[in-house]
Amino acid sequence: MINGTTLRFLQDGRVVEIDFAGSAMRPSTTVLNYLRSLPHHRGTKEGCAEGDCGACTVVLGEPGENGRIRYKAVDSCMLFLASIHGKQLITIENLAQRKGSETILHPVQRALVVEHASQCGFCTPGIAMSLFAFYKSGMEPTRENIVDTLSGNLCRCTGYQSIIRAAQELCSHREPDHFDANESHTLELLRQIDSQSESMQFVHPGQTYFLPKSLEQALRIKFENPGVHVVNGSTDVAIRQNKRHEYLPAILDISAIGRLKGISREGKGHYVGAGTSIEALKEFAASSFPALSPALGVFASKQIRNMATIGGNLCTASPIGDLIPMMFALGAKFEVIGANGKRWVEAEDFFEGYRRNCLKSDELLKGIFIPEIDENVLIFSEKVSNRRDLDIATVSLCGAIRRDGQGVITDIILAYGGMAATVKRAGHVEQFLLGKKLTVQTVDEARQLIARDFNPISDARAGNDYRLAVAGNLLMRMVE
Amino acid sequence: MTNNPHHESAIQHVTGEAVYVADMLPTGQTLRGRVVYSPHAHARIVSYDLSEALKVEGVHDILDCKRIPGDNQLSVVNLDELCLADGVVHCVGQAMFLIAAETDEIAFEAEKLIRVEYELLDPILTIDEAMARGNRLEPPRRIEIGNVDDALKRCKHVLSGELKTGAQEHWYLETQAAVCVPGEDGEMTVYASSQSPTETQMVVAGVLGLPAHKVVCEVRRMGGGFGGKETQGNHVAAWAALLANATRKPVLLSLFRDDDQKITGKRHPFQSIYTIGFDDEGRIEAYMVDLHADVGIAADLSMAVLERAMFHAENAYYIPNVRITGHTWKTNLPSNTAFRGFGGPQGMAVIENAMDRVARYLKMDAAQVRFKNFYGIETRNETPYGQMVENNRLFTIWERIIASGNYFERRKEVENYNRSHTLYKRGLALTPVKFGISFTTSFLNQAGALVLIYRDGTVLVNHGGTEMGQGLHTKIRQIAALELGVPLEWVRINATNTSKVPNTSPTAASSGTDLNGMAVKNAVDKLKERLSPCAKMMLNEVCGSQTEGDITFKDGQVFFTHEPTHRVGFVELVKRAYIERISLHATGYYSTPGIQFDKDRGKGTPFHYFAFGMAIAEVEVDTLTGRSKTLRVDIVHDVGDSINPQIDMGQVTGAFIQGMGWCTTETIKRGSSGELLNHSPDTYKIPGIGDTPEIFNVELLPLAPNPKAIRKSKAVGEPPFMLSFAVWLAIKDAISAVGNHEQEPDFQLPANCEVVLLSMEKLKGNG
Ligand SMILES: Cc1cc2nc3c(=O)[nH]c(=O)nc-3n(C[C@H](O)[C@H](O)[C@H](O)COP(=O)(O)OP(=O)(O)OC[C@H]3O[C@@H](n4cnc5c(N)ncnc54)[C@H](O)[C@@H]3O)c2cc1C
Ligand code: FES
Ligand code: FES
Repeated sequence: MINGTTLRFLQDGRVVEIDFAGSAMRPSTTVLNYLRSLPHHRGTKEGCAEGDCGACTVVLGEPGENGRIRYKAVDSCMLFLASIHGKQLITIENLAQRKGSETILHPVQRALVVEHASQCGFCTPGIAMSLFAFYKSGMEPTRENIVDTLSGNLCRCTGYQSIIRAAQELCSHREPDHFDANESHTLELLRQIDSQSESMQFVHPGQTYFLPKSLEQALRIKFENPGVHVVNGSTDVAIRQNKRHEYLPAILDISAIGRLKGISREGKGHYVGAGTSIEALKEFAASSFPALSPALGVFASKQIRNMATIGGNLCTASPIGDLIPMMFALGAKFEVIGANGKRWVEAEDFFEGYRRNCLKSDELLKGIFIPEIDENVLIFSEKVSNRRDLDIATVSLCGAIRRDGQGVITDIILAYGGMAATVKRAGHVEQFLLGKKLTVQTVDEARQLIARDFNPISDARAGNDYRLAVAGNLLMRMVE
Repeated sequence: MTNNPHHESAIQHVTGEAVYVADMLPTGQTLRGRVVYSPHAHARIVSYDLSEALKVEGVHDILDCKRIPGDNQLSVVNLDELCLADGVVHCVGQAMFLIAAETDEIAFEAEKLIRVEYELLDPILTIDEAMARGNRLEPPRRIEIGNVDDALKRCKHVLSGELKTGAQEHWYLETQAAVCVPGEDGEMTVYASSQSPTETQMVVAGVLGLPAHKVVCEVRRMGGGFGGKETQGNHVAAWAALLANATRKPVLLSLFRDDDQKITGKRHPFQSIYTIGFDDEGRIEAYMVDLHADVGIAADLSMAVLERAMFHAENAYYIPNVRITGHTWKTNLPSNTAFRGFGGPQGMAVIENAMDRVARYLKMDAAQVRFKNFYGIETRNETPYGQMVENNRLFTIWERIIASGNYFERRKEVENYNRSHTLYKRGLALTPVKFGISFTTSFLNQAGALVLIYRDGTVLVNHGGTEMGQGLHTKIRQIAALELGVPLEWVRINATNTSKVPNTSPTAASSGTDLNGMAVKNAVDKLKERLSPCAKMMLNEVCGSQTEGDITFKDGQVFFTHEPTHRVGFVELVKRAYIERISLHATGYYSTPGIQFDKDRGKGTPFHYFAFGMAIAEVEVDTLTGRSKTLRVDIVHDVGDSINPQIDMGQVTGAFIQGMGWCTTETIKRGSSGELLNHSPDTYKIPGIGDTPEIFNVELLPLAPNPKAIRKSKAVGEPPFMLSFAVWLAIKDAISAVGNHEQEPDFQLPANCEVVLLSMEKLKGNG
C-alpha cells in the first residue's frame, strides 16, 4: 500500500520534490538545515536549535476546516523535513513581493520598519513570521494575544516595546495580501499532492521514514518494524538529533493521521486524540476546562504548541511533562492500540518510571478519555517556572478535591510534577486532608508533610529547598 | 522623518536579506570548523590521540597547539590566554583542538573519536576559594576621598553588609562566528562578528605569524554583541583562521548555542562588602566598599571592568568620605569579559542596595533618601576620583519623574495594597543612574574615518565603529548627510573594514557615535573645505559676480551663506571638482580631549561627560512561589539632543529589559566541578515579551543639549541598563512588606524566584 517515496511540498509557489535516496539530506533533517543549505533562503536563522528562541520560525500553510488555508507558526529547527509533506512552507523570503526592481513589503514587514522594531535584526525574520501567522489569524491585537503570539520569539536588543507597537499597529487594520490572492491556486496544488499521498515512505541510506495517513497502516508498520521510533510533533525527538547528533534509523511519523486528531464529546466526558496539538487543547480548555488554563496558557510557546501533541507529551513520560499531573487529577483513561487490539489504561498506570511508559513495542497511544467533572469536585492547576512563558516547570501541581455537602474532603488527588523522577501524588498530604475541611489552618498543617512525600533534586532550575517550599505553598491556593 | 530615519538595514532585516557571518558563503563553499574544548575545570593533559578522528571521511584537518604557526596567544594586552591548550587545561570550555570538516555532522563524529587522557587537578571555582588561596590577578586598586575611618567613627548610624551579584550570559541572538578566506601570499580575510575589527586582525595575524598588512578583518553587522564580542569574537576568528590557513580553504566557524554558552565569558560576578555611615536624616557621611570580582582564568578586560565598577561605586550620590577598594580574583572558569555597563552595574548595585537598607533602617522612603544624597549642582559635586560632576541633570529628571510617575501617590497605594493582601505583595522603587562616558583606558578614545564621494555625488562612509544593532551606522549616516548637506539616501555606510580604516578602537563604552561621529565630521569638514573654492567659482559663474563668503552645504545644494537664492547642485559641484582635480575622499580623525586618569593615585578626569537617568518600577510578588511581575515602569533618561530619538528609545528600553533579566531570571549556576548548568536557553532565561511591564512609559529628557558631543547628543548604549535596579529594589520592597518592613530581607542579584521565595520564607518564620 506504500504509494509514494518522493517528498512533495510547496515552497516559493512551486511544488518541491525531494528524493532522499540520492540526497545529502535525511528525511529527519530539520527544515531549518534544509533552508540554510539553499542559496537563497538564509533569512531563516538558527539561534538555539532547541525551540527556545524562535529565530528559525517559519509558517506552514494547510487547508483548514473552512476551505481556507490555515497558517501556523512553527520552529523550523524542531521540524523534520519529511513531516511537511503536502504542506505549504512559507519563509521570510516569501513575504515581500518583487515588482521589477521594486520591493513591496508585506504589511507585517512595513509595520516592523515603521515602528523601529529591528535592531541587530537577527531575531527579526522569526518575529516577522510569527506576526505573519498572527496577521492571518484575524485575532485581536490585545496585549494578551500579542504575548501569546510572540512568547516563543526572543529578542535581546529591543526590549520588545517597538515589536508590540508594530503588532498593534499592524493588526488594527488588516487588508488582503498576496497570499489571499493566490489562495485558490495554493489549495489546488496542495490537493494535488494530497491525492497522491496515501502512505508515504521516504528512504535514505541511513534512515527510513514512514508517513502513513491511516491508523491501520501505522499499526502495521509498527508491528512489522519493531525498532521504528514513533514521532508526532517531533519537538521532543528533534532535540536529541540536534544536540547529540543521534539519528534514528527508522521513524514512524504519525502526524498525518487525521483520526488521531481532535477533541469530541463522548458519553460522560471528552475524548482527545493523541495527535491533537497542545494548542488545540489549550483552546479547548479555555472554553471547557478553565481550571487547566493556568498551566496550559504557559505551555512552551505558540510555535511549539502548534507542533507538539498530547500523545507526545504523555508518552515522553517526563516528570516535568505539563499534562501528566492533569491526567492524574482528572482521572483520565488512556486508550492504547496495538497489533492485538485496544486496551484502556488508567492514567496513573501508564507511567512506569523516569521517561518510561507502559506501551509495548507494537502499541501506540490512540487517545485519552477525560471523564466529566461533577460540581462537587474542585480542580486546580499551576505551573511554577523561573520565567512565566516558554519555560519548563520547576514544580507543577494539578489537584482534584471532592467534598460532601458539609465541605468535608471525601476524595483527593494532588499530583506533582518536578518533585520526583516521575509525576507523583503527595500521599501523606492527601491522607492527612481526607476527612477534613479546607481551612487555612488545615492546609498549613498539611503543608508541613510535603517533605515526607518528596525529596526533590537540585538542578539548573532550582534547589531542593525551593522545590519543597513551593510544593507546600501551592497547597495554599486551595483556600485562596 | 529626517530626524527619525529607520535603521539603515531595517529593510534588509525584515526581508531576511541582511547578511550575517553564517550567511556569507553558501553551504558547500566553506569547510566547517569545530572547537574541541575541555570538559574539566583544571587538568593536566597526559596524552591525546587524534589519529582515529583524522581518518573520518570528510575531515580535512585537526589542529593542536603545536600546529599554530605564530603565537599561541589570544590576548592582546596581558598575553595570558592561550589559543589552544598546551599541556594543562584551566577551565571547562578551554579550546584544545580544532577540526575542519565538510559538515558539522562530520566534525561532530570526528570529535567523538578524539581520545584524551587527563590527570585531574584541584580547581578554584569561587571567589571565596580564590581568596583563601590568595589567587589574585593583580594587586588591589583604590580610590579614596576624605577620611572614611574618622568619618565612620563620627557617624550616628553605621551599617555593614555583603552583596553578591551574579554572572550574566550575553545571549546575543547570533552566536560567535567567523568566516576566514585564505588568499595569495599568505593573506587572510576574516569576516567576523566582532566589536573590535582591529583586535581581531591583530590576534589573527598573531596566531598565523603574519604581519598585520596581510590580514583584513571585515564586519558587516553583528546579530548582537553587548560586550560579548569585544574580545571574545577574536577567539573564534583566530580558530577559524588557523583552520583556513591549514587547509587553505574558506572555513566557517559558528558556535553551537550550548558551546557558545559554555566557552565564552560572562559578566563578572562580584562579591562586595560595604560599610555605610549616615545621620538621622539619611545623609550619607561615609561609604567604604570592597569590590571583589571573579575574573575567570585570564585578565581579558577585567582590570578595566573593575575600574569602571569602582568609578560607579557611589553612583549618583555625593559622599564626602569614600574608600573604594577593588580586587580581582582568578578562578578556573572561562575568562569573564565585557558586558553592557562594564562593571558599572556591579559597582552601583552595592550602593543602591545600601541606600535601600538605610531607608528601611530609618523608616524613611527610599526615594527621599536617595534625593537627599544626589550630587549637587554647584557644591557637593566632587566624585571620589576628583572629577567634578558637570551638567548635572539629576534634579531636573527627579522633578519630571516624580510627577509623571506619580511616585508618592503610588507609594501610598502600594502600602494600602499590602495591608489588605497577604498572598501577593507589591513593591515600588525609584533609582537613579549617573554613568561616565569614555573609555577609562584613555588611549582608546580615538577614532578614524574615510569618506568617499563618487562622481555621481553619492557618498560612501567608512568608519571604525561596528554595527551590532545599536543603530551606530544609522546615526553616522545621518551625521554625514547633515554635515555634507545631502539627502540621507545619497549616503551609504560601508562594512567596517580594517583595510579602509586602520587601528580602530572597539565599539564599546557607549562611545561609538561620539568618537566615530566626530571622526566622520572631521573628514566631511575637510571635504567641504576642499570643495568650497570650487563651489564659489561655480556660484560666481552662475551669478556673473565676484563674491566672497562662506559656503553652505544643504539639501543637496551649495550656496553662499549670505545669498541662499542662487544655488548649485551638489552633484554638479562634485563633477566639476573632479574635472578640476580636487580630491574627493578624505580621512577623518578624532581623539577625545582632556581625559586622563592616574591609576596609582586614583585621581583624574576619566570621563568626557556623564549620562543621567531615573526609573520607577512597581512589581508584584507572589509570596507562595517567589515569582515577580513588573507591573509598571516609568523612565526619564537623558540622551542630550538625540540624533535619532527612536533609535535612542530602542536603546533605553532594550538596555532596561536586558538589565531586568540580569536582576531577575538570568541565573548562572555551576556544578561541583565547575561545569555550567544553565548552558542553553532551556534553563538560562532571558526576558521574553511577556516579562515586559504592561505599562512602560519612557521619556527622553527634552531640551537637554550636551555641549560635549557630536551634534549635542549623548551616548546611550549602556546607562539605561542600570535603570533596571528599580525593578530589582521594588522586588526587595515587596519582600520586605512580608515582614512589614521591620527587617532587612536577605537579598542578592539576581532576585530570581528562588532567592525571593527563600527570603520571604525566612521573614515568615519558615526559613
Ligand atoms: C522549546 C520547548 C518547550 C517545551 N515546553 C514544554 C512545556 O512547557 N511543558 C511540557 O510539558 N513540555 C514541554 N516541552 C516538551 C515536549 O516537546 C512536549 O511535551 C511535547 O508535547 C511533545 O510532543 P511531540 O508530539 O512533539 O512529541 P514527539 O517528539 O513527536 O514524541 C515524543 C515521544 O513520544 C512518543 N510518542 C508520541 N506520540 C505517541 C503516540 N501516539 N503513541 C506512542 N508514542 C508516542 C515518541 O515516540 C517520542 O518518544 C517543550 C519542548 C520544547 C522543545
Ligand atoms: S533556532 Fe531557536 S527556536 Fe529554532
Ligand atoms: S533585534 Fe537583536 S535580537 Fe532582536
